[in-house]
Amino acid sequence: MGVRAFLDKIEHNFEKGGKHEKWYALYEAVDTFFYRPGSVTKTTAHVRDGLDLKRMMITVWLCTFPVIFYGMYNIGYQANSIYAANADMLAAQDNWRIALISLFAGFNPESLWDNLVHGAAYFLPVYAVTFLVGGFWEVIFASVRKHEVNEGFFVTSILFALIVPPSIPLWQVALGISFGVVIGKEVFGGTGKNFLNPALTGRAFLFFAYPAQMSGDAVWTAVDGFAGATALSMAASGGIDQVVAQGITWWDAFYGNIQGSMGEVSTLAIFIGGAVLLTTKIANWRIVAGVMIGMIATSLLFNSIGSETNPMFSVPWYWHMVVGGFAFGMIFMATDPVSASMTNTGKWLFGALIGLMVILIRVVNPAFPEGMMLAILFANLFAPLIDHFVVQANIKRRLARNVQ
Amino acid sequence: MANASAKQVLFDPIFSNNPIALQILGICSALAVTTSLNVTLVMCIALTSVTALSNFFISVVRNQIPSSIRMIVQMVIIASLVIVVDQVLKAYAYGISKQLSVFVGLIITNCIVMGRAEAFAMQNPPHMSFLDGIGNGLGYSFILICVATVRELLGAGSLFGIEILPVVSAGGWYQPNGLLLLPPSAFFIIGLLIWGLRSWKTDQVEAAEFKMAPQTRAMKEAM
Amino acid sequence: MSSKKESVLRTLTVALLVCLVCSVVVSAAAVALKPVQITNQLQDKQRNILQIAGLYKEGVSVQEQFKQVTPRLVDLRTGEFSDATDPLTYDQQKASKVPETSQRMDPKVDIASIRRQAYYSTVYVVEDEQGEIETVILPIHGYGLWSTLYGFMALESDLKTVVGLGFYQHAETPGLGGEVDNPSWKKQWTGKVVYDESGDVDISVIKGGVDNNSPNAEHQVDALAGATLTSRGVENLVRFWLGKDGFGEFLDHLRAGEA
Repeated sequence: MGVRAFLDKIEHNFEKGGKHEKWYALYEAVDTFFYRPGSVTKTTAHVRDGLDLKRMMITVWLCTFPVIFYGMYNIGYQANSIYAANADMLAAQDNWRIALISLFAGFNPESLWDNLVHGAAYFLPVYAVTFLVGGFWEVIFASVRKHEVNEGFFVTSILFALIVPPSIPLWQVALGISFGVVIGKEVFGGTGKNFLNPALTGRAFLFFAYPAQMSGDAVWTAVDGFAGATALSMAASGGIDQVVAQGITWWDAFYGNIQGSMGEVSTLAIFIGGAVLLTTKIANWRIVAGVMIGMIATSLLFNSIGSETNPMFSVPWYWHMVVGGFAFGMIFMATDPVSASMTNTGKWLFGALIGLMVILIRVVNPAFPEGMMLAILFANLFAPLIDHFVVQANIKRRLARNVQ
Repeated sequence: MANASAKQVLFDPIFSNNPIALQILGICSALAVTTSLNVTLVMCIALTSVTALSNFFISVVRNQIPSSIRMIVQMVIIASLVIVVDQVLKAYAYGISKQLSVFVGLIITNCIVMGRAEAFAMQNPPHMSFLDGIGNGLGYSFILICVATVRELLGAGSLFGIEILPVVSAGGWYQPNGLLLLPPSAFFIIGLLIWGLRSWKTDQVEAAEFKMAPQTRAMKEAM
Repeated sequence: MSSKKESVLRTLTVALLVCLVCSVVVSAAAVALKPVQITNQLQDKQRNILQIAGLYKEGVSVQEQFKQVTPRLVDLRTGEFSDATDPLTYDQQKASKVPETSQRMDPKVDIASIRRQAYYSTVYVVEDEQGEIETVILPIHGYGLWSTLYGFMALESDLKTVVGLGFYQHAETPGLGGEVDNPSWKKQWTGKVVYDESGDVDISVIKGGVDNNSPNAEHQVDALAGATLTSRGVENLVRFWLGKDGFGEFLDHLRAGEA
């Protein structure tokens, strides 16, 4: 194909001494995006991990596909169901997306195509903005620091796009990913040296900067002026009874027939991607198991304590698993190899800390119904410390063994 | 330092030897009082006058202070000045002193004041010490005013309480950034300022504590 | 360093002199500035009250404007005016922390989570030329999400229509609960009716927007977007202070003209 020949032809321009030497990073990114890289990662991309970064990141990216497609379908389905019930709401919508959707599809909640197109009209712009703006920063830093554009960004961008609410304004997407990439990653030296998950850092920035657009009831459905509470915030105000009273069964929440951000709704789709990640050993099973155990233990504890005033105390663990961002965070965020613990024992502890914190925040903190984002960021901060103690304990044990 | 000219003493602390950006001193008040420029400005004036005056008075009596009670004498002078400043603010700038609340009182514990008294005023004549206090106060003020400008403009859409960017809740177009009203945002802004300052004045960059093994590209070329 | 400078006598002399000079300076400043500070504090409070009652005029001295307002002390146990202390200098916030001047609230009725309630409270009354009550301004406080909100609520002469509501001290999240200070949210309260026909408290802060066509609209206020708990806190504290454990009895007496 012409692309290879073209890339080879222009390559000399970008090498040392070539006229576009400064843009090597950009050239390299385009080149290796289309073709297998000439070399594979040999050292220290993750400081202590020698796995080929590109292959790994592409696998993670592919594993998000079930989530993406289900997410798009669900956005469309939720929105179209509302339009089907109140026709005048559709007429009242004044935005460019509706015009775009009408070019390709209708607004029938029964039609797979209509729902997918509707969802795509929300997801794709968000993803495109994430990719372009985040990519812009990546290229700038790669050019200044004279290294390659890192594929880790593919994962960061897709994950970031999946954890924002569908109705988020695009300029906020741009701001969030800029913060995530620059402050969450590049200031620490780029991929492999960051201790926070960049996608979550970006989301946390938006969460605190624009709370009205990132939380509350009005943001989770792609319909202007419609307030649809997430299953989690319903549970926070009235316990699981209220969720069930709204006609949402556990299976609905598991399949993902609920309101929520684009990626988090379907636990099933997340687990399909997760199964691939776990079998290919890209996601570490110890972390996932640690999160599950921590979450189950903490929610059982709260179940047994009980509370008259706070309905969240009585929410059982299997509900915690299917509502909110728990499953998505556990599979895709907590297992980020850069910001998680490195030692095997450390991974158990790291996971359990996330499980504990997520339930603590969900149940005890009155302000935030969702705790997964903050729980993972919190555990990220502790990951190096956990590793340090695990290593020290190992050294002590071996020393003790030697003495005898 | 002993032979430094008055100009150096006065202006060095602003960029070359900034108490916040290089020595990372006095951060806590920088986080707390920088949500609005009015308040920040008053805080800067308060700190600058306390630093300058305490430097001056300590320098005047520096040859009389027995070394065994050196620190205590410094503290007493600084604390008295801070209380006087606090009383004056309560009388003549009540609204702002209410917003500053304990942070005027906490100037006593600001490392810049004590640091300058011990490091400069104890060895130098009064007029130089006074200038050094003003200079360090200006260095502190420079950073605080930068931080406060960003926080008030982007966090509330105004400067000195005057609307610059009309905010959405009042019918405008600007969606204020709530993070900037929370204290942690000052950390980010100070961090970025230090980043910028050290990119400009590269001699301020500290030596790296560790070195990473070479990356792929360097390896490829080495082979 | 000469050894003379380090002698014990000298150390003591220097310490004494420094302390003496400093204490004189500090006390001089404190004493000289005290009157100005007290006026400041008073004016600040008066300005708050005038603003909430919708009487504040820019450019006119606060002291002058406040002449139309009469502070009166109310005994919350009996719901009647009282002369126990000077209403001007009485500090309710301080009094509610001391056992002698306050009572512990039963958690069942304490929906505003104030824990202890002072026996007395200073209310502010605005009267017209004939001596008829125009506006009553009640101090209210209660727990939101992170902090206790302190504010005032002003009622019209019918003692059930709101003139204004505002908080002068709180620490809610900026942008969410902190929006209690948003003028457009506060404006909603004006004209709301806080008691129903039978005289029971009827005011609620509701999610999802008030439907202006509904018959209940005059008893409802929009919640703050994204701040469920602060909104609930405001609703609770308003209901508490208007209820029988707050100013309910006092307002009844006032209506009957026998406070």
